[in-house]
Amino acid sequence: MTLRVLESTSAMSAAAIATQALTRRFGELVAVRDMNLEVSSGQFFGFLGPNGAGKSTTIKMLTGLLAPTSGSIELVGLDFLSHPVEVKRQIGVVPEGMALFGRLTGNEYLNFVGRMYGLDRQTAAQRAAELLEFMQLADQPKKLVTDYSHGMQKKLALAAAVIHAPKILFLDEPFEGVDAVAAGTLKSMLQRMIARGATIFLTSHVLEIVERLCSHVAIIQRGELVAQGSLEELRAGVRAQSTTNDALASGAKLTLEEIFLHVVGGTRTSEQELSWLG
Amino acid sequence: MAGVNAAASSGRLRPTDQLLAILRLRWQLFIHSIRTTKGALELASRVFVTLLLLGGGLIGAGVLGATAFSFASSDELEWIALLLWSVFLFWQLFPIMGSVFTESVDLSDLLRFPLTYRSYFLVRLAYGAVDPSTMLGACWLTGITLGIGLARPRWLPWSAIVLIAFGIVNILMMQTFLAWVERWMAQRRTREIFSILFFLMMIGLQLLGPLAGRYGARIGPEAKALGEQISPVQKFFPPGAAAHAIAASAKGDVVGGLASLGLLGLYGVLALRLMSLRVRKQYMGESFSEASVSTRLTRAELIHPGWNIPFLPAPVAAVFEKELRYLGRSAPMLLTLVTPVIMLAVFGLGPAHNGAFLKRSPDLSYPIGAGYALILLTNLIYNNFGADGGGVQFFFASPVRMHTVVLGKNLAHMTILVGEMIILWISVSLMFSPPTLFMTLTAFAAMLFAAPINLAAGNLLSLYSPKRVDFGTFGRQRASQVTVLLSLVIQAVVIGCCVATFILARQLQRRELAVLIFLGLAVVAAAAYVISLRRADQLAKIRQETLIAELSRA
Repeated sequence: MTLRVLESTSAMSAAAIATQALTRRFGELVAVRDMNLEVSSGQFFGFLGPNGAGKSTTIKMLTGLLAPTSGSIELVGLDFLSHPVEVKRQIGVVPEGMALFGRLTGNEYLNFVGRMYGLDRQTAAQRAAELLEFMQLADQPKKLVTDYSHGMQKKLALAAAVIHAPKILFLDEPFEGVDAVAAGTLKSMLQRMIARGATIFLTSHVLEIVERLCSHVAIIQRGELVAQGSLEELRAGVRAQSTTNDALASGAKLTLEEIFLHVVGGTRTSEQELSWLG
Repeated sequence: MAGVNAAASSGRLRPTDQLLAILRLRWQLFIHSIRTTKGALELASRVFVTLLLLGGGLIGAGVLGATAFSFASSDELEWIALLLWSVFLFWQLFPIMGSVFTESVDLSDLLRFPLTYRSYFLVRLAYGAVDPSTMLGACWLTGITLGIGLARPRWLPWSAIVLIAFGIVNILMMQTFLAWVERWMAQRRTREIFSILFFLMMIGLQLLGPLAGRYGARIGPEAKALGEQISPVQKFFPPGAAAHAIAASAKGDVVGGLASLGLLGLYGVLALRLMSLRVRKQYMGESFSEASVSTRLTRAELIHPGWNIPFLPAPVAAVFEKELRYLGRSAPMLLTLVTPVIMLAVFGLGPAHNGAFLKRSPDLSYPIGAGYALILLTNLIYNNFGADGGGVQFFFASPVRMHTVVLGKNLAHMTILVGEMIILWISVSLMFSPPTLFMTLTAFAAMLFAAPINLAAGNLLSLYSPKRVDFGTFGRQRASQVTVLLSLVIQAVVIGCCVATFILARQLQRRELAVLIFLGLAVVAAAAYVISLRRADQLAKIRQETLIAELSRA
């Protein structure tokens, strides 16, 4: 079922993120097929999909961790393939594996990242200290990253992703393993970034978080973009398509979970349940 | 884990089903691992290394067999103890000593399945038994058995029984030893402390020979007396008990032979019991926390700018600093770097007439030490990204080209090499005599050729054939077999060039020619290095997915 609320064939240069016919194959498997994605500047964008739909493949291509088989990517108005360094300078990323260096301390790691992004020594050190305090990672200064808990590593990866004040931030499951207090702090930090004009591209399986944070959403299924638009546009689209389903067609405000299940066809009949389960 | 699930679903947990499922799983993992070209190459290299090991095993078996034949022929079977002690020490120490050929499999991952304790214990035992030390040990014991059998055929059956029992005790003791070492190595700090102690022990063993050579004559009579005192005591340890079991039976003392075999059995039971204690704790979900104490710091105290390195661009300086910090925190790597000095001591301590080669030719000690330092550094150079693990993703996501990263790493490695050469110069001066200006210049000129060649090859192999390594531990890390073989070839070529240069200069009686030839070769090597650096961006792009997948693997 395709819910094409927003066609993305407009001029690519106006968007913070724009892809055209983006495709990635792994042998016979087409992980991402002809994706035309468009994210405007200043949007908090949620990228959703079932497991194996192609979310991580897409985010890896958008951040330079994976080369596309075909198609184009434009970030902040620059073609990624022809200007990789200039583009990377303006984006921040928390990849799937967090990309940390285990045998550095948190402070050393942030200083390292800052300098790799072109900050001078003093600025990198100043921002590293601020970020460590903000992320509540400052109280164990000699602890190596390899000895951090999963949640602490996640917070450090987030700190590293923003140390150079990127224009676009890519976050792959950013809240996974982060405690509630830290998650609240992070959310407010991300919202402040949006208020200052940054663009955030986020994947998460926790639909409540996406619904609360994101203004726009895209849904990918089997490598193809099946829905894209603002939450209100998606709600309207689902209602328009669901004349036979009273619950969806009624005036009640649809949750993102309902939209998601409608789009990816995730509902099960009782016959499909595993009868042998206790 | 279909087999495991099937067993669970039927309501009965059959250990045989579970073991078969694990075997099937390992087989499937093996088949999947050779699907790629790199996997097939790894397999081919592994087969080659296994054949080499087997060759070593057969040669050892021949030597030990011939010695056993000689002891048995002259009715001096007590001396078999000497052979069995060597086999025993190798069998117990080799797996800890690094076991670069051993793949580390964390079997505790299996505990999430409803595995019975018996199955888990058997799997642990079976995995440990398939080990190079077991393969070599078995070869050597077979050699000893055949040696005895050929000399005295009627002693063959009993010797075979005793030596099979001895082999089983060795496997059990090695497994028990490893299980306890694993427990000590479970925490990073204890792992590093243990690594240092182990390294010092190995150095101590290497120094024993030269020290014995130097002071042996003076302590000879005392050592002999000590040996005579030790001889009856050693019968109560597995190698001595096995030798005594064979020797006593050969002399008609059946009770004594059976008693020694019984003692050997007791060792086996004890080892099994101790191993079971450890494995049961793992089975019950033991874990070790590495929590540390909190310290509250002010913002100002948190500000620590990175190193200020003049003339280096910021990203190169950042990578350089990161590499040296990594190395500084790796006790095993630091200790590996002082090895050249220790080796000079080893070759320089003994008396000149008795193998102390460097004592006879002290002028060669500096270039040899420098060459050895470079060879040790190839651990780092040929697997540039190995210690970065999943962090390698950062290099691809950051706005820095790969040649910049590689350059930072190479500069760090060269800084270490230069530092080592300075330390070696001082050490050689203290141990022998200060190297002559000519030798110093020749060594540096040779290094200007050898280092860039190794860096160039290392950069390409690091990108082509990466392997995740942990700087915090000594052993149980398997280098890529492809890299190992290619680096051997490159070392052979480089050393060949150096030796040929020295010989040519000596033949022509023009020593300065060596420096000139090395400088000429250095120009070629520098060109090769620049080409490798230029290729780094392109190769990294091509190998990006493999690099990330290989190094991010847990």
